[in-house]
Amino acid sequence: MEKDLQPSKDNSNDELVDQRGIVSKKLLNENIENESLGIDHIGVEILSVVPNLLYEAVDKLKSMGFNYLQCQGGYDEGPGKRLVSFYHLISLDDIDKIDQIKEVRVKVFLRRDSDLSIPSLYSIFRGSDWQERETYDMFGINYTNHPCPKRLLMPEDWRGWPLRKDYIQPDFYEMQDAY
Amino acid sequence: MNNSLSPKAIREVREGTCNPLGAPQVTTDLSENIILTSLDDLHNWARLSSLWPLLYGTACCFIEFAALIGSRFDFDRFGLVPRSSPRQADLLIVAGTVTMKMAPALVRLYEQMPEPKYVIAMGACTITGGMFSSDSTTAVRGVDKLIPVDLYLPGCPPRPEAIFDAVIKLRKKVSNESVFERSKAEQTHRYFTIEHKMNLVFSENTGEYLNKKSEKSLNSSSNKKINESELVEDKTIVFDNDY
Repeated sequence: MEKDLQPSKDNSNDELVDQRGIVSKKLLNENIENESLGIDHIGVEILSVVPNLLYEAVDKLKSMGFNYLQCQGGYDEGPGKRLVSFYHLISLDDIDKIDQIKEVRVKVFLRRDSDLSIPSLYSIFRGSDWQERETYDMFGINYTNHPCPKRLLMPEDWRGWPLRKDYIQPDFYEMQDAY
Repeated sequence: MNNSLSPKAIREVREGTCNPLGAPQVTTDLSENIILTSLDDLHNWARLSSLWPLLYGTACCFIEFAALIGSRFDFDRFGLVPRSSPRQADLLIVAGTVTMKMAPALVRLYEQMPEPKYVIAMGACTITGGMFSSDSTTAVRGVDKLIPVDLYLPGCPPRPEAIFDAVIKLRKKVSNESVFERSKAEQTHRYFTIEHKMNLVFSENTGEYLNKKSEKSLNSSSNKKINESELVEDKTIVFDNDY
């Protein structure tokens, strides 16, 4: 089953007919609604799910063999646009075949005016602990059920989300240009 | 190998190479037995020969600084002995970027050092903010905004030899000081402050974040003054901000 997770040249014709990737299809078969966003420049499949379905989707992906959360992070699409939390999952079965590893990227898009909460993946991947804290710190995305939803890098009493595109830097004395 | 000559041998060499009148006996005796100096010079000589730096480093500059500890550069020959406690240190080499989160800790370390104390701002980050000066959200643009700096040591990071150069220049500065003029160089009360009427309140930040019930969990606007004696007696106050 895991062999055909990798998008190969053989079924590229199928992909032209149906734009969905293989992982996206498999999730659909498991009754998890998702939107396929195609592939990136190195052929990693990208898909997006709504926040409520993220936990089930990642849980299912882990049982499908994507057993390692390589990276979690966030980005801002621009002022007034959506905030994104992304998860890059890979399968670490055979370290010798590291060049043909299976990868997938899951994105969760959040409207700025929504409540910006996503279920935490801490109970599936322990490594998401600090990564989710950093994303919370920089973008203000709330990870519900996170064991310690505190800021990671910035001082704990900091106001605002520094990596948002509409962030305005406070004019602290310490931050003014050196004489 | 011990090549040092005994005082007797020195005297013989001196007599043998001197003019026909012979060595001046009185001054020779004096210079071999008496040192003429001022108390300031003696005091400064002792201080500049034992500038003990605080082991403080926050970024890559400290890698260069740590190279001095090893045998290749060996800063013990300048009398620099790294100290892990600010109470025992005379010199604070600020090695590395200082962020706003680190700033209170740095100022506290500086304040805990005994007088007289010296500060070397090492590297571009501590002088102007360096490469973080354009768009960083937290880097302090110049550590001289926090603590008084005696010597700026540019570089990104400076080589160990440059740190030696800075230490030698600092030694020159120390050797020119006078105990009687020390009060002129001391830090004065630089800010105009008035007696405030603020109340002591505890942090609004409970560490609960998502689980916080309201934005303002503490009623900080109540004008009830907190007695200091109450605080001292009531030892059950726990700052519940920990992990």
